[in-house]
Amino acid sequence: MIEAHGLTKRYGRKTAVDDVTFTVHPGQVTGFLGPNGAGKSTTMRMIVGLDHPTRGTVNVNGRRYDKHRAPLQEVGALLDAKAVHTGRSAYNHLLAMGATHGIGKARVREVIEMTGLEPVAKKRVGGFSLGMGQRLGIASALLGDPHTLILDEPVNGLDPEGVVWVRNLVRYLAGQGRTVFLSSHLMSEMALTADHIIVLGRGRVLADAPVADIVGRTAGTTVRVRSPQATQLVELLAGPGISITSTTPQWLEVTGSTAREIGEIAASAQLVLHELTPVTGSLEDAYMALTQDSVEYHSTDAGLTGPQPQHLGVDVALASTEGTNR
Amino acid sequence: MSTSVLTSPTETTSQASPPVNDVRLTFPRVVRSEWIKFRTLRSTIWTMAITLLLMVGIVTLFSAILASQETQRGGPSSIDVFTIAASMASLAVVVLGVLVITGEYSTGMIRSTLAAVPRRLPALWAKGVVLTASILLVSTVAVGISLGVMQLFLGAKGLAPDLADGETVRILVGVPLYLTAIALLAFAIGALLRHSAGALATVLGLLLVIENLFLIPWKPLQHISPFLPGTAGSKILMPQAEINTMSQGAVGAVLGPWQGYAVLLAWVAVLLTAAAVLLRRRNA
Repeated sequence: MIEAHGLTKRYGRKTAVDDVTFTVHPGQVTGFLGPNGAGKSTTMRMIVGLDHPTRGTVNVNGRRYDKHRAPLQEVGALLDAKAVHTGRSAYNHLLAMGATHGIGKARVREVIEMTGLEPVAKKRVGGFSLGMGQRLGIASALLGDPHTLILDEPVNGLDPEGVVWVRNLVRYLAGQGRTVFLSSHLMSEMALTADHIIVLGRGRVLADAPVADIVGRTAGTTVRVRSPQATQLVELLAGPGISITSTTPQWLEVTGSTAREIGEIAASAQLVLHELTPVTGSLEDAYMALTQDSVEYHSTDAGLTGPQPQHLGVDVALASTEGTNR
Repeated sequence: MSTSVLTSPTETTSQASPPVNDVRLTFPRVVRSEWIKFRTLRSTIWTMAITLLLMVGIVTLFSAILASQETQRGGPSSIDVFTIAASMASLAVVVLGVLVITGEYSTGMIRSTLAAVPRRLPALWAKGVVLTASILLVSTVAVGISLGVMQLFLGAKGLAPDLADGETVRILVGVPLYLTAIALLAFAIGALLRHSAGALATVLGLLLVIENLFLIPWKPLQHISPFLPGTAGSKILMPQAEINTMSQGAVGAVLGPWQGYAVLLAWVAVLLTAAAVLLRRRNA
């Protein structure tokens, strides 16, 4: 259980985390989402006392992290994979970390085995790949068999097998009644892993709800339309409040209208429809909608994938599929 | 440390199963952790070896030269070589003292360390304990080997250091004490600056450049000079006769061997306190 109350962090004039209040409950996986610079990492660092809050408090299992008699048993944290001396072997790193709490060789071997580090355990960390570094970070987090796990971007740099492994691991740990708090930029991954989501934007909590709620609440009504006469249909549908995107010829995604309206417009113009499907928003869409105004670093070039779907003018409507990757 | 608070609750319930044998954070365990960190880095092993070789090497060279020369009564005492050997070894020891702490900042390791020891100060003190013990041990061994070497080369000529002489013993004991204090000075500056190159430049600049600049015959400087850490601390390595010679016509205070060493320790204490305060306050 992690409880943050009015948590605020300023670096000089910049406010990284702004009066954030939330609770991360045990027994489920809580995802922590937000664009770059939203304050996710800062928040996580404050939980384990690496950064001091400017204002507010954050408690883990009822008290401040540094007040626990066995901190590593309360919280295991992977905050960045490079928090390791490059000249030391993975085994010795874990041994030294564990020694602070009287955790011995047996447990060190156990976490090395759990994270698949055996082949490189005696090698110096400086030569590790990003994926191996992540596995070592996860091994350190698991060392104290903690009640609460905090993982900042744990799948960053992992191969597909590693991604699935992390997903299963955190679900398993949450299933044992532990608190799991993980951040990720991969929405699709979060949709599969998390039960509950906290979205942060510009240092503030934008949403704090179960995954299903977030998707339902924020996703606009999108309708997927397939028609051989898509170009004509675009002309008829275009209007205020309606946005139409297209990635493939004949395919349209219409937001701001309903399947029923589109069907009726098409029928009255005698246009053929091959498909007309209302689409439930994905977590990714919901995330984009929530964070649109709070993205710290917008990608500016049109044509590159910005946070907003590309609006198509009528004449170029179906000309190109380049520039978007939806 | 508040070990009493940490030991009181929950008696060890099951000693049979090792993973749950009362996992908790204690100061002795943090020291153990720092010792593991210390001995598992090549750089620390190397600097320790260099310290040892430097001292023994210089003493051997000196003894061999002295042994090959015609016996000259009234020449430099063989104990003088320890002053030279210790000041050379102090450079290696400075590197060690700085790297023990800045190596963690440059690699990011410090975040793992402070996440495991969130009260932070026990980690700093534990590093200090390990550094102190290691350097005391290695330099004592170096002094022991050096004495053996001198006995071998110079014993027959009666030029080996006389262990019955109080001043000789003070200098021999002073070598490990001086090196340890200098290493702790470097360690404190490393903890303050958190940057390897910056801290090394600062400590070496202080000991090798700035302290020599203060020898410029200008009164305000000469009043301060005796209290600079290296100048004051190295008094413990000097025979009283040499201190007396140097003090002739001195403008500033003249510190005795132990007074000088106490001044060095005071520098260490002040800088370590500053480092501790900042470690508590700064973001990791």
